[in-house]
Amino acid sequence: MALTDIDGVRLADNAFTLGKNLIINGAMQVAQRGTSSTASTYGTVDRFRPSYASGTVTQTQQSLTSGDPYDEGFRYFLRTTNTTAGSDDAAEQREIRQYIEAQNLASSGWNYTSSTSYCTLSFWARSSVGGTYYVLNRSIDGTSQGYTFSFELTADTWTKVTHAIPGNSNITVDNDNGIGFQIRFLTDLGTNYTDSGHTLNTWAAFSDSSRCPDFSHDWAGTTDATFDVTGVQLEVGSVATPFEHRSYGDELARCQRYFQVCIRNEEFVTACVTSSSGANTGLAFVNEMRAAPTITLATAGSSAGNVAFLTTGGGTPSTIGSHEALSITTYGFRFKASGYSASGWTSGAATNVYGYSTATVYTASAEL
Amino acid sequence: MYKLINNLMGELSSIHRISDDAFIPLDPGNTDYQEYLAWLAEGNEPLPADD
Repeated sequence: MALTDIDGVRLADNAFTLGKNLIINGAMQVAQRGTSSTASTYGTVDRFRPSYASGTVTQTQQSLTSGDPYDEGFRYFLRTTNTTAGSDDAAEQREIRQYIEAQNLASSGWNYTSSTSYCTLSFWARSSVGGTYYVLNRSIDGTSQGYTFSFELTADTWTKVTHAIPGNSNITVDNDNGIGFQIRFLTDLGTNYTDSGHTLNTWAAFSDSSRCPDFSHDWAGTTDATFDVTGVQLEVGSVATPFEHRSYGDELARCQRYFQVCIRNEEFVTACVTSSSGANTGLAFVNEMRAAPTITLATAGSSAGNVAFLTTGGGTPSTIGSHEALSITTYGFRFKASGYSASGWTSGAATNVYGYSTATVYTASAEL
Repeated sequence: MYKLINNLMGELSSIHRISDDAFIPLDPGNTDYQEYLAWLAEGNEPLPADD
């Protein structure tokens, strides 16, 4: 039975649906990579991918201490700061994206091929530069489709934005682990990517040179301009319901399908010696990942932050060789040492692997 | 530049991206592997695996 009335207050049927928010980390709580980065890709807040060209942008996870979104329970936001203005106006690009896994969208309940079925995007935004901003929603499978809508911001003022997006018969979403939708906050784009004749609020075949109409402001040309966003929610239905606040642990687990970091101190796993100079062990991820991930390893060595396979007596080897990750699956990988000179290393012996002064043993990225 | 990494049986097991010291799995769903395949398609060749 549909739930529509509690204590006389009418509510949308999905107001209390668990897992209704298709956006992961929409409250910007989780930042496994760190809290500040100049990368034009994932660098701070998990699942959100700033993308820029011409000039430089700094992305930061910021604490929220007051204001309307604070009163709704948000404690963090993602900020992009225009550190260096673009030198090529036409080529400027300033976006923040989240890529939604296709099977999550396919099984969401949104009849995305029907023009009478809706999903609704809601979020809080603030910019130091007032003006008209855009959100581009792009499907990927089949013939890629785009749907852009605008929203207005007054300088330095948090604004709650909601927009219902209809389905369209041209949308294709495969039931797989690839990209289903891109949600792209367009802070500023040069004319290489805009079209004065672009039609808002309608689906059309995606064109990279027509992501939205021309911008009337110049965020990318304003040094130290800021754009803030939090409380991002995409839900099935034509009504924006209250944000689905999740615990930090719940949100972290969702993020770890796409990115994980393993930080350990001292002995953290036992390995098997395979020769006088080599050893192997297996490392498992905390959750199964979306796809087999790309692995980066801590530097092999004995300085702070390094990792080394120890002698069988538990000491630091006289020569620490090199490390590799191989046989990588969605569940874990083989961690291999070679080129070592270590006391007690004979084939079949056991030894431990050691993180010096809290080492980032590995990062694993299966991002979309 | 990339270098091939073989397992104990001498089979290709991962790809070492030297520029950032990352190890890429042989998974079509991995975006770095997709970039590697595109790099190969341009006629480039990786460094061979160690013996």
